[in-house]
Amino acid sequence: MKKKQGVRMDKYLFVSVLAVCVGIFVWWLVTDGLGLFRSNVLPSPVKVCQTFLKKWVETKPDGATLLQHLVASLKVALGGYLIGALVGIPLGIFMAWNDKIDMLVRPVFDLVRTIPGVAWTSVMVTLVGIGYMSKALVIFISAMVAMVINSYSGIKQTKTVHLWVGQTFGASNWDLLTKVAIPSALPMIFTGLDVALGSAWTTLVAAELLASTRGLGFMIQQARGIFRLDIVIVGMVVIAITGAILSSIIRKIGDKVVKGGRLR
Amino acid sequence: MRAYEKNKRLILGAVGIFIFLCIWYAATKLTSLGKVMPDPVTVFGGFFKAFIEPIGTKTMTMHILISLRRMLIPYVFGGFFGVLVGVLMGWYKVADAIFMPYIQMLRPIPPIAWIPLSIIWFGFDEGSKYFLIFLACFFTIALTTYNGVHSVDETLVRASKMLGANDRQLFLTIVLPTTVPYIFSGLQVALGSAWATIVAAEMIRSSEGVGWLIVRGQDVGNMTQIMIGIVAIALTGLLITTLMRVLESKLCAWTVRGK
Repeated sequence: MKKKQGVRMDKYLFVSVLAVCVGIFVWWLVTDGLGLFRSNVLPSPVKVCQTFLKKWVETKPDGATLLQHLVASLKVALGGYLIGALVGIPLGIFMAWNDKIDMLVRPVFDLVRTIPGVAWTSVMVTLVGIGYMSKALVIFISAMVAMVINSYSGIKQTKTVHLWVGQTFGASNWDLLTKVAIPSALPMIFTGLDVALGSAWTTLVAAELLASTRGLGFMIQQARGIFRLDIVIVGMVVIAITGAILSSIIRKIGDKVVKGGRLR
Repeated sequence: MRAYEKNKRLILGAVGIFIFLCIWYAATKLTSLGKVMPDPVTVFGGFFKAFIEPIGTKTMTMHILISLRRMLIPYVFGGFFGVLVGVLMGWYKVADAIFMPYIQMLRPIPPIAWIPLSIIWFGFDEGSKYFLIFLACFFTIALTTYNGVHSVDETLVRASKMLGANDRQLFLTIVLPTTVPYIFSGLQVALGSAWATIVAAEMIRSSEGVGWLIVRGQDVGNMTQIMIGIVAIALTGLLITTLMRVLESKLCAWTVRGK
């Protein structure tokens, strides 16, 4: 996306606002307004807003408030994500820097990464059972894969000329890696952190749908069972917003840390 | 020299996979992991045996074909509408203003989170599965196409306008060739995520398909079947993304991505 969007003319901003308003109005019209859809097929926007506000304090019908679900989900997602990043970044850098290791590990890695995160859920649930551990492991894997891919290609994109210059001035292999390759790979590493966060969050929802007793995914699954679609939509909105907030935090940190080369 | 490099890469790669399988084998035979985890021989043996002896009601070929069909139908729709909306949004500012807020709002919702809603809207049949996979590819394709249209060189547009090109000529000779590589990269990414969503889609009641193998395996605690399903997904995924890349290099020979 280009920077231009920020200075989009007011006329178009007006059109956007209008489009959203019309959308919400139509949604209201077909539900509450004309009653075309009953609330167990499509709840009205008013109902969804009410539920959104109420769910912060109410534990019915799934045994926890929205905040408790959110915290439970965040704990699992961030735990798996952080360990995934801690393992994935060095692994990706190492793979890219050492040619022999690269040739050995790359094919195995290419095979493993085609396995979707959801599939891991089944493996982990069967191996370690339902609980914090199995979910965190699944997220660890999906975050790590994204981290390895991005830090790997970041290091691979180091300009050969820069490495030559370093060598000419007598830099050791370690100096080349820490002073040339890693700094130039930083933007890609941060892209990786962002992508990994996205896939961690997605995988979490999958894991909670399949096997969980608390969390946002669990909440929408339970609500579906009793046709409380308002709760389902609230859950989806909270999942989307939380994901967006987390990713914008990563981007902010990236902008601060990465000198010179800009993200995106 | 390059042939030597290539051979070395191939041999070391094969060695790498072999070592990986050995570790897997040793881990299941020597440690307590073997109680829950089948060894690679069982898994790959089971995978190939499934081509002849059916798992559930279908053989492996059928499972893979059914899943592929489930993925391809919504993928084609997602691709078509994604490109259409992307081009519209990229070309007409009004369309951009109308669609963009919706795309920005809906895109962060992972396709899997749509499962409960899609079940209620489309039932347990194919409809809800198509819906999920459509969502998994639509946004990616729409946004990459949009970026592609935006990356068209303004100078070229102005130059051709000055030389009297009409809108159709402008679109066909300048905008489209610039956008196609972007569309392809979107299609490539979307193919991967559509295939990854198949497991999620088949979590909704199904009785065949590679995702079903995994979900069913988990239900009855059959680890071998889960692993067979995973092998099937990984290999098929690898195959279709490679096919797509070959297709791209044939169709977009003039672009950098095509090479």
